[in-house]
Amino acid sequence: MTRTDSSGRLSTALLLLGLVVSWEIVGENALVARGALPAPSAILVHLWSDRADYGPHILATVQSATIGFLVGNVVAIAAALIFVRLPLVEQLSRGFNIAIFAIPPIAIAPVLVLALKGDWPRIALAGLAVYFPTMTAMSVGLRDVDPRATDVVRAYGGGPNAILRWIRLRSSLPALLGGLQVAAPNAVLGAMLAEFGSGARWGLGTYLLGSLGRADPARLWGIGLVATVISGLAYAIPAIVAVLVTGRSRAVTIAPAPASLRSLQPTRPLTRMLVLLASILVPLLLWWALVAMSGLPSIVVKSPTGVFRYLVTDASAPSAQARLFVALATTIPLTIVGVAAGLIFAFGLATAGLLVPGVVRALMPVALVSQTMPLVALTPLLVLLLGRGTTVTMVITISVTFFPAFVTLARGFAMVPRAAFDLVRAYGGDGYQRLSLIAVPASLPYLFAAAKLAVPRALLGVMIAEWLATGGGLGDLLNRSRGTLDYGMIWSVAFVSVVLSIGLYQLIALAENLIGVGDLRMLKQSTMGKANSQRSDSDHARNAPP
Amino acid sequence: MTHALSRRHVIAAGAATALSMPSILTRAKAATASLTMQSSWNNDAEFAGYFTAIDAGYYKTEGLDFTYLPGGPDVIPESAILSGNADVTLTTPDTTVKAIVEQGAKFKIIGTQYQKNPLGIVSLAKKPILKPQDMVGKTIAVPPVNVVSVEAVLKLNKIDPSSLKIVPYAYDPTPLIKGEIDGSSDFTTNVPYTISQQGEKAVSFLLYDFGFTIYNDTVVVTEDTLKTKRKELVAFLRASRKGWAENLKDPAVWPPKFAQSWYKGTGRTIDNEIYFNTAQKPLIEHASGVFTMDDEGIAKNIEALGQIGIKATKDMFDTSLLQEI
Repeated sequence: MTRTDSSGRLSTALLLLGLVVSWEIVGENALVARGALPAPSAILVHLWSDRADYGPHILATVQSATIGFLVGNVVAIAAALIFVRLPLVEQLSRGFNIAIFAIPPIAIAPVLVLALKGDWPRIALAGLAVYFPTMTAMSVGLRDVDPRATDVVRAYGGGPNAILRWIRLRSSLPALLGGLQVAAPNAVLGAMLAEFGSGARWGLGTYLLGSLGRADPARLWGIGLVATVISGLAYAIPAIVAVLVTGRSRAVTIAPAPASLRSLQPTRPLTRMLVLLASILVPLLLWWALVAMSGLPSIVVKSPTGVFRYLVTDASAPSAQARLFVALATTIPLTIVGVAAGLIFAFGLATAGLLVPGVVRALMPVALVSQTMPLVALTPLLVLLLGRGTTVTMVITISVTFFPAFVTLARGFAMVPRAAFDLVRAYGGDGYQRLSLIAVPASLPYLFAAAKLAVPRALLGVMIAEWLATGGGLGDLLNRSRGTLDYGMIWSVAFVSVVLSIGLYQLIALAENLIGVGDLRMLKQSTMGKANSQRSDSDHARNAPP
Repeated sequence: MTHALSRRHVIAAGAATALSMPSILTRAKAATASLTMQSSWNNDAEFAGYFTAIDAGYYKTEGLDFTYLPGGPDVIPESAILSGNADVTLTTPDTTVKAIVEQGAKFKIIGTQYQKNPLGIVSLAKKPILKPQDMVGKTIAVPPVNVVSVEAVLKLNKIDPSSLKIVPYAYDPTPLIKGEIDGSSDFTTNVPYTISQQGEKAVSFLLYDFGFTIYNDTVVVTEDTLKTKRKELVAFLRASRKGWAENLKDPAVWPPKFAQSWYKGTGRTIDNEIYFNTAQKPLIEHASGVFTMDDEGIAKNIEALGQIGIKATKDMFDTSLLQEI
């Protein structure tokens, strides 16, 4: 076993080395995109000569990201605690939670800059980026308790508070740390995006903005590389804490979920309807309250009624509607195709991971860099390679979509018991049959979870492409509206993009119910063992809102 | 009025704000002579005059506790004065006037940094675009916020907008240098430097020279601020004019002095700022002093904006503060 492991690792390392060497050759000789792809050595040399610049920028980004990380996580943990003790509050907050999950950062950034002062747009965007992963992970962790342990507390006369204190809080720690691991790089990227836009004096985002005008790709890649390293460290710190605090085995696994989330929902149709309605109203009311509390003039900051007036009752409403519909007609089809393309790519990669694990392992560093490399820095390369049509939109969309979907699918594949594969192998089945007979059907719930994760990101990807490369659609409308001080449209685009994202998300949830993934889970339960199917439930809940 | 005392107090407060991060609290607490300016972009030569005035102590001499806020792509300058984040800001007159006309925003334009808008079309000398007609059949990258201005020039020169292709401009001139696009809309005072650094020669024309005769970086305040802080605004214009005059006397002198302060770590080079500062000199200077808005200039703005359906009027430009300098 050790021999194959080390030879596998060796071939991965060789592949990775080959990748870097060919990148160096391509970059050095300007073989790609008329030299817009810098060689790795050029990036490192540039990074070294710019080293004096980086200190204050890194410090500023880390500071905003850290404050945002703390604020966002305190809110997320508090919310998870409340949700566990008061399920009705969770039901009512469902719309709010999905909205936070679905907000495209580039649509909300201008709105945050309008409404907040000083460092707060940066902190808020970082905080918004961490809330969802931490809240879901903590909720799952608090619920995933060993029933025997709670029985003990109950037997000694402990109530729900005692169970929360003695059992749930402790057993939630591994899941919480897992959530923090996802949240930490999010905070870094959120802070950078806000620095780029909000007129910060310092920060990697500011440095990126100032460097863009130099037509110097090596500098831009250097900034991207530094951002990657910071995100990587942000990811690693909770992981190290997890190992120290909870031990290796607990840090990477999640205890079985005791109760299906569905069973928590009220059963009477009327009650369910009312709760659903209320959960839609809660984010709107919250928006209203925040606008009222901000005390900012209504010309700049729009409340839900302000947006309604702008889009429906104002004299200029028909023109606003027309522009919005034209933009949506461009953006919606691209987003739907983008979700599919991102999923297919993720599925292909996860499948390849099963068939040729060495190759996929060698590609992982590239995949990770693609997640932290600011797209605005890659725009010249992308437009030179791919033009400014649908191709570039799809490539940008796939690049922002595939990674979380891939991680989810790969986890799904990994959950399949070895014995099931061995069965196919024993009957002479090849890799393809192992995939089609076992891995794919077994990972269907993961495919839906991945699709839900992909929706808001696909919309983000399409909007970024529209903003940077192609023009048209919501991304372009948002930017043009800024140029004409069309505050109503800025808020409308932010609102509509969240609604669109939630709508597509709910469509996937609906499809999941129709196809009956639940039934499939039952099947899995009987054929593959109980623990696995429950595991899939809890993972599912962790990655996407229930 | 204990003027001397309050002035000393103000200078002390100014020193305190200079040392600490500009926060909401310190600004709110500052004395009445405080003034905050929201800039329209991050630190470069476009704002060298204000940096000069700060470093030379001109605002302090005027008794002003002056705070400078850098801008960025997501910062809409007009929003900062509406929301009270700043007292004064630099805008493009088309957006400001449009907001006054269409949304009833209570803005007044009290001066202009650029007599001629530096916005133009930059192209490579080997494939030159020297006038609007040359754009026909070409691909031009335009920042989404400037599409209105470029479309205005097309209209003024009777060019069918569908006869060229407008794509987004993402701040990076690489696609122009590599020939993926034929031209880009940018400050002609800035981007030709970058292009020359990459071994290409750039040519450009100003939108201003082909009918879109508007100012840029117009100094804008709310009517409310104009009432409550008139004295401070006059002081601001006086000190800033002095700063600009000093900075433009020799455009190569001040940018290097900002290398370790205003321009530290911006990602740009001092040589680039000197180029920028030199190129913008003729666009800023006016015989009656920087910021001047003369009758002819205002009339040209009203006319150009009228051509694209924005109904500017003379009363939107308040020249009375400039007269008080």
